[in-house]
Amino acid sequence: MDQAPPISAPLRFFLTAPIFGIIAGILMLLSDSQTLVNRYSIDAIIITHAITIGVFSFVIFGALTQMLPVLTGTKIVKVKLVTTLSYYMFIVGLFAMIVGLKFMLPLFTTSAYLLLGGGFFLMIASIANALRSVNNFTATVKGMVASLVFAFFVTLLGIMMLFDYASGEIGERHYIYANIHSVWAIFGFSGLLIIGVAFQVLPMFYVAPHFKRFCKKRVVALISIGLFIWLVLNSFYDEYTLYSKLWIATFFWAFATTVWIKFNKRKRSVVDVTVWYWRAASIFLTLGSFLWIFDEFFKHEYIVMVAILIGGGFVLSIMIGMLYKIVPFLVWFHLNGMGYMKIPTINEMIDKDLAKIQFVLLILSIIGFVFSFYIPKLLAPSSSFFIISMLILEYNILAPAFVYRRTIKTKPDFDMSLFKMGN
Amino acid sequence: MSTIKEYLTSDHRKCDEIFAQMEEKAGNSLLDAKELTNNFIDDMERHFQMEERVMFPEFEARTGMTEGPTAMMKLEHMQMRNLMQSLLEALSTDDKDKFFSVSETLMILLQQHNMKEEQMLYPMAQQHLSSQSENIVMMMDSMIVQ
Repeated sequence: MDQAPPISAPLRFFLTAPIFGIIAGILMLLSDSQTLVNRYSIDAIIITHAITIGVFSFVIFGALTQMLPVLTGTKIVKVKLVTTLSYYMFIVGLFAMIVGLKFMLPLFTTSAYLLLGGGFFLMIASIANALRSVNNFTATVKGMVASLVFAFFVTLLGIMMLFDYASGEIGERHYIYANIHSVWAIFGFSGLLIIGVAFQVLPMFYVAPHFKRFCKKRVVALISIGLFIWLVLNSFYDEYTLYSKLWIATFFWAFATTVWIKFNKRKRSVVDVTVWYWRAASIFLTLGSFLWIFDEFFKHEYIVMVAILIGGGFVLSIMIGMLYKIVPFLVWFHLNGMGYMKIPTINEMIDKDLAKIQFVLLILSIIGFVFSFYIPKLLAPSSSFFIISMLILEYNILAPAFVYRRTIKTKPDFDMSLFKMGN
Repeated sequence: MSTIKEYLTSDHRKCDEIFAQMEEKAGNSLLDAKELTNNFIDDMERHFQMEERVMFPEFEARTGMTEGPTAMMKLEHMQMRNLMQSLLEALSTDDKDKFFSVSETLMILLQQHNMKEEQMLYPMAQQHLSSQSENIVMMMDSMIVQ
């Protein structure tokens, strides 16, 4: 059970994620809302992927590396090698993608799909391999498995689309792939993973009521079926796509409502910024789900707004909330496990007031991005808020990392006697 | 009669509930939370001892694994005992910030510990000790805390 990976394995993913958030914010600041409203514009694609790969995937893979032993009792084989390799493949691949698409450089775009594809497949295969030895197949494990299946197809489609850009042949098929890629990435890869983890995390960390048996047993499968039905309808019978969207959106809206109710009924009365993030995520997911349906009647005019609400409002909120818990705890757990007793507690490692400011700025930026659709002038201040919010996040999660480094260097009170039984 | 897994898992939930009540009271006044804090620490100690004095030795004797999962869990029990000691110190100095800072750390440590036990150790114990399950639960239930 002593399967925890070395601290560097998840930490490097976590510490890098806000940096890509800052890069995305700068790119938004340099762009204009007329360009970004078109989801197929190069600027929109670059910014979206700086966030979805640079922030979301980094947090997801960092968290899975760390949480796999705790949630499933398994571990990634050669975890240090796998995470180091994939980390650098992601970094170089993502920069290659940004440069390759922005300046139409096929060599960079080709490098991007090789490196990003390699990085994703390496992580997906390593996690899938670890999950093969799971004995207790809980609802959380089912969520992880379903999420990985979608991640595999999302990566495959991503590679094919980057290949189109590298070869300069972008046909009608490309846009069908793009649609599947984005819907499966948000609802399948990220959404199902969040739902699966929430089944475990909410009742335990917030002492909230357990999710109903039906939710834990069926919801992941029902959403997955909905996403496959959506694929068929969207590809061959577009006039019926609405029905599958209704199916998927209903489950996500139900999840958002359930999370909200669980927080109302939770037994822990403590309110911190992570609770705010869960609540904000519920609101944004509800709005995003409804708008996704509404958008179907308006020739996908609002799809970028949907992406901001669900991607920025829901997925990003959950991830930041999780970072505020997991990063200081990782540091505390590793140091304490080494025998360092007089170290700051996890609350003392994070500046709570700054975290609140960071939350407010992020929410303002998301609302601003949504309305910049109608009021282009809002894009610049919203981007600035987003950049500052990511800078604060980086500062706040770097602080525990510095505590770790300082403690390891100065060795203040190394004392294993405290671990003796009966102490 | 519950299985080992059911019995100990339900005890985890019981401790969680007292923890939540303790935090709620402490939010108003640390003085008012003293009794609940002591109850929580007593219940946790009882849970640790049920495992360390009854279930773990049976599991180790049956599987031969003395340096495996049970050793890791005992180590985490010690980490939690130290944190609970810090909770009492915060109570005695009426330091609310310290109290909640320690309680948050304890909560996360406790829950990741519970997850490991509920996902791995308890199912393993149930599998290896199924024939003695009823006896072990009875022994844990009637155990007097030392």
